[in-house]
Amino acid sequence: MQKNYLDFDRSKNNQYMRDVFIDGVYEYAKNNPDIYFTTPDMGAPSLDNFRKKLPNQFIHSGICEQHMVAMAAGLTLMNKKVICYAMAPFITSRCYEQIKCSVSAMNQPVNLVGIGVGLGYADAGPTHYTTEDIATMRVFPNIEIITPSDEMTTKKLVKYMFNEDKFRFIRLDRDVLPAIYEVESLIDFNKGYAEIIKGSNKKIVITSGYLLHKCKSIINNKYNGFTLVDLFKIKPLNDSFFEYLKEFDEIITLEEQWLDGGFGSLILEGLCEREINKKVLRFGLDQKFYFENGGRDYLLSSFGLDVEKIFHNLK
Amino acid sequence: MSTNSLDFLKNKSQWLRKEIFEMVIRVNQGHIASALSQTEILISLFYGGIMRYKNKQPNWDSRDRLIISKGHSAMGIYPILADIEYFDKIELKKYGTPEGILRIYGDKSIPGIDSTSGSLSQAPGIACGFGIACKRDNKDINSFLVLSDGEHYEGSLWESAMFASHNKLDNLIFIVDRNKQIILGKSEECLRLEPLADKWKSFGWNVHNIDGHNYSELLNAMNKGLKKNGHPTVIIANTIKGKGISYMEDVTRWHNTMPNNDQIIQARKDLEINCIK
Repeated sequence: MQKNYLDFDRSKNNQYMRDVFIDGVYEYAKNNPDIYFTTPDMGAPSLDNFRKKLPNQFIHSGICEQHMVAMAAGLTLMNKKVICYAMAPFITSRCYEQIKCSVSAMNQPVNLVGIGVGLGYADAGPTHYTTEDIATMRVFPNIEIITPSDEMTTKKLVKYMFNEDKFRFIRLDRDVLPAIYEVESLIDFNKGYAEIIKGSNKKIVITSGYLLHKCKSIINNKYNGFTLVDLFKIKPLNDSFFEYLKEFDEIITLEEQWLDGGFGSLILEGLCEREINKKVLRFGLDQKFYFENGGRDYLLSSFGLDVEKIFHNLK
Repeated sequence: MSTNSLDFLKNKSQWLRKEIFEMVIRVNQGHIASALSQTEILISLFYGGIMRYKNKQPNWDSRDRLIISKGHSAMGIYPILADIEYFDKIELKKYGTPEGILRIYGDKSIPGIDSTSGSLSQAPGIACGFGIACKRDNKDINSFLVLSDGEHYEGSLWESAMFASHNKLDNLIFIVDRNKQIILGKSEECLRLEPLADKWKSFGWNVHNIDGHNYSELLNAMNKGLKKNGHPTVIIANTIKGKGISYMEDVTRWHNTMPNNDQIIQARKDLEINCIK
């Protein structure tokens, strides 16, 4: 069986992001009976703990995302704080109209948590991949989209989530991801991004999630000189981010998404609106469906995101 | 909340039909026939002692909740909301105009509208959210939903029906405005819905199958629904689309068609006679 790039981390007792997230929610929920957790049958060891200890705050919606999302809006209308948790493809597309009409149009602070973004469920196939979730979710006017890339970011995200009620889409990786940050102060959700590697002012690489780790490793080990940014908040992108981009000659984006409407596209639009002229190179997945085996890294390399090759050509 | 006499309710029927008709005609916007079939359902809820609310207080925390799930006829509730002083009656005259707060589909910005609706069968899920929150908080708040028969084609309705039953949400009372018409024809000819009562029964709901223009039957079923027995309640209120306007009654084309001048005159004549005896 093909090993994935980050497989080694599983032997280090690192936690899955979903468990970090749900354990974090549990810590708040045990002191706040208005925090509700609902899922259309998505599990996790941490969720077993949550539903055993806080049964009154857990709702199994049935395997019906449409009902779950509408119900979540009903709960927030009754002043509950709600987390909906499901596989990323199903919590975005299956219930899209409920998200639009019941959540976004009423501006309800529902937290939609999608697990396994990008090709996280390799080799399950296109039904389980989310290669378009940024494009589909970013169009909602009041949404906040966040992709944590390590445990510390995920923990801080939980705190931020309960401090500020908003309609959110939280994108969790299925894999265990190693640490990016050593200090929490670098993770500022109002700012939305953090500089992970300070290179030259020539080329800045913007990415998040699984690809952030691959880029970090390659820049550190082989292709020095690039500046690397973790764009953990994809939407909204604020003015200070674009001011920061002005410092660089060339902007490179990498996303585990089809390029149409992804965050590379968001950055292009933001630059255009602000009349900032920069060379922008966007890298993403080939716009097709993948019915092939070989693991996440193999699929990424085969369909547009051979990170080694990308950096080799960029250097 | 007060219980009024049957004569009072019947007079309200005639009043509401006239108000709805004039509102729609003024701006040529709305769904007259759908609003006329649900008239007695709404009058029963507000004036028949079923729903708990306080005049002038649309945001009273302990009020019962109501969603017109068939959002296309949500405008049919506005005269009632003005009558119980949730907003000024002048708003009815401004319905559908840039100066007004009222529009065809109800949304959260309108006092007394507990949820935006318009996309069919999302409201049952929202009502489940209301219901389970109140259950778990031990709050005695009921949630009412007025559904169209057309919404029964949406799978999400049955998702919510299953959920409400499993979670014993007996604080939910759904009323189906069963006028048997959808846009292209009769429901039973386009795609059969019957046996509708059996479908709801099989999902574990208390089911009442009644005449939706008969106040005694409506109030009897609603009062039974208020008595909690661990099951949510659905009332299939058999109605006539366009009730009260002779040429509209049970005629498919009137879903969103506007009457011409002669038809307006005829409708006004028809509405001078109360169709609810």
